[in-house]
Amino acid sequence: MKIDCHGHVNGKKQNWGWDNNDKLIDAADKLGIDKLCCSIPITSGMPKPDECKLCNDDVLDCMKRYPYRILGYCFVNPGYAKESIIEIERCVIKHGMMGIKLYNQFKCSDPIVYPVVEKAIELNIPILEHAGYITDPEQASSQPNLSHAGDFAILAEKYPESILIEAHIGGGGDWEWGIKTLRHSPNVYLDTSGSVIDEGIIEMAVRELGAERLLFGTDMTMEGGVGKVLGAKITESQRESIFWKNMQTILDKKRI
Amino acid sequence: MIIDINAYIGHWPFRQLRHNTTDGLLGLMDENGIDKAMVSSINAIFYRNSQSGNDELSDWTKDHRDRFIPFATLNPKYAGWKDDLKRCYEEYGMTGIRMFPYYHNYKLYQDEGLELVEFVTEMDMPISIPIRLEDRRQRHWLDSVNDLPLSDIELAIRACPEASFMILNGRGFEGSNLFREESLKNKNFVIDISRLSVVLQREIPKLIELAGVSKIAFGTGIPFNYPNPALLKAQILDVPEQDKESLLWRNALEMICN
Repeated sequence: MKIDCHGHVNGKKQNWGWDNNDKLIDAADKLGIDKLCCSIPITSGMPKPDECKLCNDDVLDCMKRYPYRILGYCFVNPGYAKESIIEIERCVIKHGMMGIKLYNQFKCSDPIVYPVVEKAIELNIPILEHAGYITDPEQASSQPNLSHAGDFAILAEKYPESILIEAHIGGGGDWEWGIKTLRHSPNVYLDTSGSVIDEGIIEMAVRELGAERLLFGTDMTMEGGVGKVLGAKITESQRESIFWKNMQTILDKKRI
Repeated sequence: MIIDINAYIGHWPFRQLRHNTTDGLLGLMDENGIDKAMVSSINAIFYRNSQSGNDELSDWTKDHRDRFIPFATLNPKYAGWKDDLKRCYEEYGMTGIRMFPYYHNYKLYQDEGLELVEFVTEMDMPISIPIRLEDRRQRHWLDSVNDLPLSDIELAIRACPEASFMILNGRGFEGSNLFREESLKNKNFVIDISRLSVVLQREIPKLIELAGVSKIAFGTGIPFNYPNPALLKAQILDVPEQDKESLLWRNALEMICN
């Protein structure tokens, strides 16, 4: 059993590099991934609420088309607090999405994000936020509001009851720094996704944070996402927790 | 049989590697069913005199030549590289070389770089070229090296059309002239699968459609990377068994047997 906590589906305006979402299901079938928690974030600029809504509508369409396989995150721009709350209620309460997706519009420790976090706490759903500690200055400059583990630690301390998922440990920068920074933030989970498949990344995260705080994910690096968890020298029980049990526990917490 | 064309032994200065000794790498290969690996010394990238790293590599691999195919690391900007190459070939039995143009501060397609390319081509040896060793987003503050552009390899092939290249840790080949231009895709090069996908973006199937399976070889990037992603790709790739054999070992072997 595997639940991908960090996936994406194509929408009408967002194409991630494959022609048809059937390809995602086909990939999941080949790799034994049972469920994919997906979103369509807008990855540049300051999207308006209507733009976020269109992305979420496309995710909802996929949830209908692939029931039990595609679960949905509601993407919002926290800069529009009131509209974001309305959109979260629409997507999560009315249409059954399982979480909230934030991108790099604001650092997660920015107070502007607090209303969204408080809504997530009320619904007891996770927030998955794009993240990374990028050490290359040129690449870092392209995402000035990218959250890193330190920002998650601040937010987690302020809201210890929140369920926070720092995205792609293998998708953005110095993962050793990120893991060590989250040692004392028990309500922050790390997702294992990203194109970086450095040997030892999973073992260090398990050693420093515990397997119960890791969630299997791909972020579209399908073979790498599965392969790094399969290759890690951890117990089978830990592997199972990472592949699906931890995420299932989070999904079961939803209060609706 | 599986031959990994993308493996290393030695110390990486910016992150602790495991399985980076002779026994460690052999253990990792055994656990994952990898029969042979083309290896070079990581130390040799960073020593001013790369040959010291080649000497170490020879020593580390001499008792396991049934498993390791050692490649010499050569820096054409450093003194005595022709003598070093001769020694690696004649005394150590190294059948290929690895070049690190950005770490050693030269261009692959001109001056010293091209001279080395032409020299080893005369010797019928393949040239292994990693596009990168680590993701730039996590670079150490002392490591300012960028990824090697595919266009540099394209230029080197144009300058020395008889050269044999093994391109490691690359991606973006679909848009590259290497796979688009008839005169280039017929040249003697292979790319490894370590950063390419079989499903979803389907880079490997698309590249096979563009240029044939003879251009694709199995490579993991161990001990930098987990070997499992590459093994999974080979497992789920839907091609005839004969093509899979080509990818898993035959293409690699042909590069060093030409």
